[in-house]
Amino acid sequence: MDTIKKLVLCAVIAVVTFGIGYKVSDAYFGNRTPAQPIEFSHKIHAGDNQIPCMYCHSYAERSRVSGVPNVKRCIGCHSVIKPDSPEIQKLKNYWENKEPIPWVKVYNLPDHVYFPHKRHIKAGLECQMCHGDVQSMDRITRVSSLKMGWCLSCHTRKKVKNGRDCWTCHI
Amino acid sequence: MSKIVKKVKERLRDFRRPGYYKEFEYNWTMVIDLDKCNGCEACVVACHAENNLPIVGKDECSKSRAFNWIRIERYVEGEFPNVKVKFIPIMCQHCNSAPCELGCPVYATYHNQDGLNVQVYNRCVGTFTCATYCPYDVRRFNWFTYKWPEPLDQQLNPDVTVREMGVMEKCTFCIQRIRVAKDRAKDENRKVRDGEVVPACVQSCPTGALVFGDRNDPKSRVAKLAKSPRRFRLLEGLNTDPSVIYLKRVMKKSGSKKHGEHG
Repeated sequence: MDTIKKLVLCAVIAVVTFGIGYKVSDAYFGNRTPAQPIEFSHKIHAGDNQIPCMYCHSYAERSRVSGVPNVKRCIGCHSVIKPDSPEIQKLKNYWENKEPIPWVKVYNLPDHVYFPHKRHIKAGLECQMCHGDVQSMDRITRVSSLKMGWCLSCHTRKKVKNGRDCWTCHI
Repeated sequence: MSKIVKKVKERLRDFRRPGYYKEFEYNWTMVIDLDKCNGCEACVVACHAENNLPIVGKDECSKSRAFNWIRIERYVEGEFPNVKVKFIPIMCQHCNSAPCELGCPVYATYHNQDGLNVQVYNRCVGTFTCATYCPYDVRRFNWFTYKWPEPLDQQLNPDVTVREMGVMEKCTFCIQRIRVAKDRAKDENRKVRDGEVVPACVQSCPTGALVFGDRNDPKSRVAKLAKSPRRFRLLEGLNTDPSVIYLKRVMKKSGSKKHGEHG
């Protein structure tokens, strides 16, 4: 009896430690909020100024990727709006050096996943469903796990046609 | 108790039985006219380029680890002046009752709603069972993780996963192209038209020997060709019900002198 108790205790401790460790590593080392080369604030753009998502991420409606806007699109407004701010000066440097801005990808899917933004937007999903409350974020934080179970939970709930077939998303 | 067990067993059998779907949404079929095939192997090259297949080299080939999803088998008949050479391209036959699907312990290979024999790389643990069960010898195993040295990595197709060591793979009927066609069709709220999906091998075939399409659509080219009296399927005796249909090569008898040399 004593040994069984000990074993159970050991198992419980192991499970609890694993759980805590998993949560901690996910929260603090997963880096869901990476630093960007320019402190671009979605809160100012999408929140306060009500710029629609598709104005900058224009490929989301018609392609697999939503696309990061080119520097021209940024400079188009910012040659007039707040041109003296230090962050805009960084942007200007990129523009003058003819370099793309090395944004850090926050929502990074592995290569073996086929995820079309187009299909999901045509199905009537809001961007916020997966990307969270972007209009109130200064620096973008990844809010969804991007795990397969997370994808499938939605596909199952919405009864997506062929949504559970492997070759719908993989290869 | 025994009733429940029986029920569960039946359910499982239903699930594992290939051709679990009684009707396919699309029944993707390939028709290969052997009369037109001249064995140029353009399809093999196209497949390599499209599906990120590694070039394994001479050593591996000599260990019977040649790597190709489609291959040209050649049959030589007769002695020198009267030689007949026949070619037959062989790829995954996408059998509707596939032997490979029975064996996989991790369900990495199964039949999907389009009548395709699916290979899921993420699930595959490399037990080699499917390759052993396959009577057509079309499944290929990644013995190593192949690297594409600079600048060759630029040629990789971004729509297809680059596989790693320990994964079984095979012809997918270019699922990435089927997917694009389906995507387009869904935008326009229609079914995929005949000739809209063109796999790499079909596209590259200079003589047009390979035809791909949906056999459920009676007006499609494959449905018409599939009714040809020349039709046959490989190893039909095994009752695997393949999705690849061959049209027999019509040849003169070997006694005929005029065409003897060309066959």
